[in-house]
Amino acid sequence: MMERGQKIRKYCIYAAYLLLFTTIQVTFPGLFTFYGIRPDLMFVMVVLCAYMFGFYDGMIFGALTGIIRDYLSAPAITVSEGNVQPAIGLGLLLMVCAAAFGSAFFTVRVKRNFLIAVLSVIAATVLYKACGHLIIYISTNIINGTAYNVGIKGIFLRSVLPQTLLNLAAAVPFYALLKFAGPYSKGINPYLKDERKGGSDLWLTM
Amino acid sequence: MRKLLTNKLFVTVVSLLIILAVIILGAIPGSPLNSFLKPVGAVIDPVQRGVKAAGNSISDFWAALTDGMAIRSENETLRTEIAELQYQINQREEAAIRYEELQEAFHIRETFSNYDIFHAAVLSREADEWFSVLRVGAGTSDGIVVEQGQSLAVVDVRMNLVGRVIEVGDNESTILPLLHEGFRVSGKVNAVNGATFLITGDSSLKQDGLCLVTGITPDTVPSPGDEIVTSGDGGLFPQGIPIGVIESVDTSDELNITAVLRPYSDIADINDIFIMVPLEEPEDVSGTGSGADDGTRSEDS
Repeated sequence: MMERGQKIRKYCIYAAYLLLFTTIQVTFPGLFTFYGIRPDLMFVMVVLCAYMFGFYDGMIFGALTGIIRDYLSAPAITVSEGNVQPAIGLGLLLMVCAAAFGSAFFTVRVKRNFLIAVLSVIAATVLYKACGHLIIYISTNIINGTAYNVGIKGIFLRSVLPQTLLNLAAAVPFYALLKFAGPYSKGINPYLKDERKGGSDLWLTM
Repeated sequence: MRKLLTNKLFVTVVSLLIILAVIILGAIPGSPLNSFLKPVGAVIDPVQRGVKAAGNSISDFWAALTDGMAIRSENETLRTEIAELQYQINQREEAAIRYEELQEAFHIRETFSNYDIFHAAVLSREADEWFSVLRVGAGTSDGIVVEQGQSLAVVDVRMNLVGRVIEVGDNESTILPLLHEGFRVSGKVNAVNGATFLITGDSSLKQDGLCLVTGITPDTVPSPGDEIVTSGDGGLFPQGIPIGVIESVDTSDELNITAVLRPYSDIADINDIFIMVPLEEPEDVSGTGSGADDGTRSEDS
């Protein structure tokens, strides 16, 4: 179990990550832009956090990140008769799904390690982008009856690939940050050890 | 119950159902859920302003250091002094540019006398290609009011179209940028009796900072380099706001001639925007009555 001091440290570090990365992403959009795409710092952080520190940490951190994402930069959707308005909850949905995905990505039978952590970010990014394009395709072509004129090749080369590469580039320092700077000492969530048998096999290895 | 709450699948499904309910209820115009995020601003706004100020200071300081690099190699003892002086110069140059930009902005008031112009600083930009609205620091407390179904034009300091206001909070507003797929504006070639077109955001062009021009007939094909301004049709935007220039025209399909437009405003570089609020009635520029009454309001949305 964690001592009070460790708990306070954990909450402070989570709060710092939450405020820092959400604001950096929307305040300096020109930073690290590649083919018009920028690394999704919030998304990467949530996936890694869920993967490394488990389901509950990931869900809570993801939900808070999603709420801030909705506040800072919500997606705009067409609701009726061409009226467009910011959509509340889509950021929350995205981040909770990312957390659920990260926490379930090869965490049962395989030791949590750097390689799988990076793979979880890649897989989550590809899944997010694929689902996003599919939803927009369905909403524009089928619901709105207009054309979504981006081909499969364009989606892959102009959206999925650059976003994956940028998220991958962000995942490496973020992994080191989460492992060595907290929120948990030595990058290990003690509750994660307690919650399943054979927990010692699930420690982070790098 | 406690056992259920430790079941991850149950927690995930319940969370997703609650979030979906929030999304659906939040999409209803005028939903009280839209004020759900307001308290978040009390925490995140000061942090964001701090991060922005810190980032700008680091950027200025870094620019000063790199500019003084050649001098530092020649004279080690003068390095710090030169860097500090360069830093001050950069700051003053920045201030001078800002002053000139704001001076230009005053012309907006003269050009659109029927509109009240509200200045606002850009607080946050798009998070990714879909989470793409802008937040600016002016709201109802500054006197900006948007009625249901109404919207307000947003221009930059050079009077170029940036987007439109889609939501107004107490201290900030949400802007739908010109490049967003949901943005539509009626434009025309900036010439006497210039042909009118429909300018929209396009998912395949927005990453290159471009817009799609549709509604082109074979008789009114614009040429690359033509300047496009708002036509005033629809009544949402006043006539004559510069939008951008035609970059290319695709006439391969005569029934669907399209063009690509490069907007003048560069959202990545915008720090200040101006919101145009009609004083009473929208500007009657065509002499045929306001667009809101002539059935063409859907041109601008």
